Amino acid sequence: MKKNGKIIAGVDTGQSFYDGRDAFLKAALESVSGQFTLDAASFYEFEEKSGLLRLRHRHASGVSFEHEEDLRPAPGSPAARALDTLQAVTAKGLGGSFLYSPFRFDYCDPAGGRGVVPCFGLVRLERSPRRRGFTAPEAARADAYLKSFLRDYYKAEFFSLHRKYDKNVAAITELTEVFATALRVRDSFRHILSGIQTYFGFDRVRLYLIDEPNRKLKGELSADIRGQIKSISYEEIPLEPGAHRFADIVLGRSSGAFMERYKDCVLYMPLSVQGVTIGLLIVDNLLSQQRIEPQELAMLKSFGGQIALAVDNSRLFDKVEELSLYDELTKLPLRRYFNQRFQEEFYRAERFKQPLALVWADIDYFKEVNDTYGHQIGDKVLKEAGRVILSNLRKIDFPCRYGGDEIIILLPQATGTEATRLAERLSQELSELRIPVPFSKARELRVTMSIGISTFPADASTMDSLLEKADDALYWVKSHGRGKIALYSDVAEEKKKAEAAGGTNNAPAK
Amino acid sequence: MKIWLLSDYDHRKHLAFKSMLARFSAAFPDAAAEFCVKSRRSLWESLFAHLRDPKRNPLADIIEIPQNWTELFSRLGLLAELSSRVEALGQKRYPDFILKELCRNEQTRAFSAPWWLEAPALFYRPAALKGAVSDPESELASWEGFRSALDRVAAPSRRRGARALAVPGSSGSVSVADVLPRVWGRRGGLFSDDFNRATFTREETAGGIEDWLELASSGKIELFSPDRFENGPQPAEECAFIISSRKLAGRSGLKMLPYPGYPSGGGLMLVYNLSVSASCQDPAGAAAFVSWALEQRNLASFTESFGVFPCLKPVFEERLRDEREAGVYKRLFSAPELKPNIMVYPTAELLLERALWNLSLKIARRDYDREDLTRELIMAQGEADYLLSLY
Repeated sequence: MKKNGKIIAGVDTGQSFYDGRDAFLKAALESVSGQFTLDAASFYEFEEKSGLLRLRHRHASGVSFEHEEDLRPAPGSPAARALDTLQAVTAKGLGGSFLYSPFRFDYCDPAGGRGVVPCFGLVRLERSPRRRGFTAPEAARADAYLKSFLRDYYKAEFFSLHRKYDKNVAAITELTEVFATALRVRDSFRHILSGIQTYFGFDRVRLYLIDEPNRKLKGELSADIRGQIKSISYEEIPLEPGAHRFADIVLGRSSGAFMERYKDCVLYMPLSVQGVTIGLLIVDNLLSQQRIEPQELAMLKSFGGQIALAVDNSRLFDKVEELSLYDELTKLPLRRYFNQRFQEEFYRAERFKQPLALVWADIDYFKEVNDTYGHQIGDKVLKEAGRVILSNLRKIDFPCRYGGDEIIILLPQATGTEATRLAERLSQELSELRIPVPFSKARELRVTMSIGISTFPADASTMDSLLEKADDALYWVKSHGRGKIALYSDVAEEKKKAEAAGGTNNAPAK
Repeated sequence: MKIWLLSDYDHRKHLAFKSMLARFSAAFPDAAAEFCVKSRRSLWESLFAHLRDPKRNPLADIIEIPQNWTELFSRLGLLAELSSRVEALGQKRYPDFILKELCRNEQTRAFSAPWWLEAPALFYRPAALKGAVSDPESELASWEGFRSALDRVAAPSRRRGARALAVPGSSGSVSVADVLPRVWGRRGGLFSDDFNRATFTREETAGGIEDWLELASSGKIELFSPDRFENGPQPAEECAFIISSRKLAGRSGLKMLPYPGYPSGGGLMLVYNLSVSASCQDPAGAAAFVSWALEQRNLASFTESFGVFPCLKPVFEERLRDEREAGVYKRLFSAPELKPNIMVYPTAELLLERALWNLSLKIARRDYDREDLTRELIMAQGEADYLLSLY
């Protein structure tokens, strides 16, 4: 803030720049103390509701300091008269001579609100009892001098409100963009939370979403005051009345006295899309116990709809993506997704010189199953096969419905032996399945799988050849009675032997 | 180098620091140092403002903090590790009761250096007690004895508004700083020993708070005192009793006793530490200033200037030896306790502060009831428990 040099009642207030309100108060008190040879000067804010004067800043014995003290001027006292009349009042007492210089400004809300922001208080100038008191002309000059400073205080406060307003406008623009462009769930939740933190800087922001099938409110992410974001997926709240405060809020139940107490530093914001509540956003200043400004509350509330839409959009986007990457029947990834992961895993295996096994499985006589029992039964077979596979894999393994009844499984860091062990387990579990077949003599259907396995780097050095070798191994199984597992290295050995003996391989029936 | 000093009701502290800084500047003319005195609330807000927007709200290089803010602000990443840079910390040259709360979860690292401490005590004017208290040592040992003496003793001054008891450190309302020594005296506290739950409503804690509120509701201390606004703190010679954590004995004919309710000594001590902000551009230089401030001569003269004790063990022990009221201080320091240095404690104090503020307003309006205390403490405890579940 700039303080223009001007002469007020014969006193030059100088030209200064102040960095913030506290610096301004310090400068004002120091300056008036120097100009009028004071022993002390204090700046008080007056709270009309409680009738209390709150000391904010004091300058005494050459040192300026902030201090906290809440005191009430006695009715009819010089300070009370100064506050009542808004005129400077001098007084003399046991403690020395005093000049009370009151001020009052009411700011219009720069955000266009109807309210005014009052700024009311007084400055007390002090001289010790052994020194002379304030003469009337001197008091008038000191009061005018202070009033000139306080006009700048007014400006400083006003600019500060304006800065807040500008910041809010910037927040509206940028956050709207963040919310509009947030697409993927994982990223968009992060963007939304960090966007809120960048502009509002709460102690914490938490996002919970409703898991409708399980009637739960599930924690998603939390961002702290430093912008660090972490998962709170371990938080699950039953969505029942009375089960938890958050559940009650989402269900639209009364918050009670405890919530009332919280309202200054916590905002619970149910997220709704087209009248349906999808989650809960909670922002709080609980650790710092600092008030969330009404303007910030209003802004966040107005963002509520956009945040809810962004959250909902990203969930829908993920759902669409899931449908395009996963096979709905078997719940296994589709070929397109597999190709991408295969490349990544192959590069990783090459780079870190780790083995990579590829299992290629085919459900035996699947075409006959479809032709004999119908596609519904065929689908059931595939569904069960998918379930068996998914329940037997490690986290790093990657299965895929490659097409029709062909299934491929990538096994990073697995050797041929380890892959064979897995294949045996899958084959065993699948063969134990009994798929009911209505209107059939057999009543139930049993299925088997033929499995071919190839490994990197033992059998192949490229992606294509790894696929080709697994296919070769599978082909070999199919041509040797099906329902078995073959490792490419063994097949190659067999082939060599057969060629040496002058035999040929039989082509399998698909 | 910028320094933030905590504001004190005793202006002598600010002057003492100013003069210490002048000595520092004289000894190290190249090291430009300036200080700014911040109220506790303002310092708290500045620290959080920095967390929200570090560029717009830079921290000072050196910050004085209450000892029990260390855990919170070090965990929020605002304070630099000091044990490797400040010899006194590295060598743990502090009394055990200070070391215990210095780094609750860390044995090797320390994020602030204990600087000075104060011990709340009771001062009385023997002449004012004549005819009302025959044996101050025993009669004023318990809170009940002290409270009953207050009823019998009048203020030595006939000036309007003068009271027998003065609390120079009061902020106008009843504050956490006022009630905690009494809470400790009743063996209460804000949290259970395992820090798993808040205990604001526990009988010992609520009782301690109620004891102090009763002083206000019965008019033994005046809240938001107009007299204090007009004339400043009541002069010592107008008081029969003073509760203060600064040394007053020897001045104005006052004698000293342990805080009522601690007959065998001990009690709550308030410790203030120096810290270096993690964002400081010259952490070595800032740590060097901390080391310099902790040098025996500087620490001794600074603390002596406003009647408090140095934290460094050799200086502390020397001060205790030389103390006029050494007997009382030895009792005070026989079983000293510090506020727990845990992450949520400073916030819990704010919650209690808000409850006390509401109650103070009610007392001042003369519409306070015991039920109000219960309700406020239940609310504050609920919030503190919630905080514990979050942090």
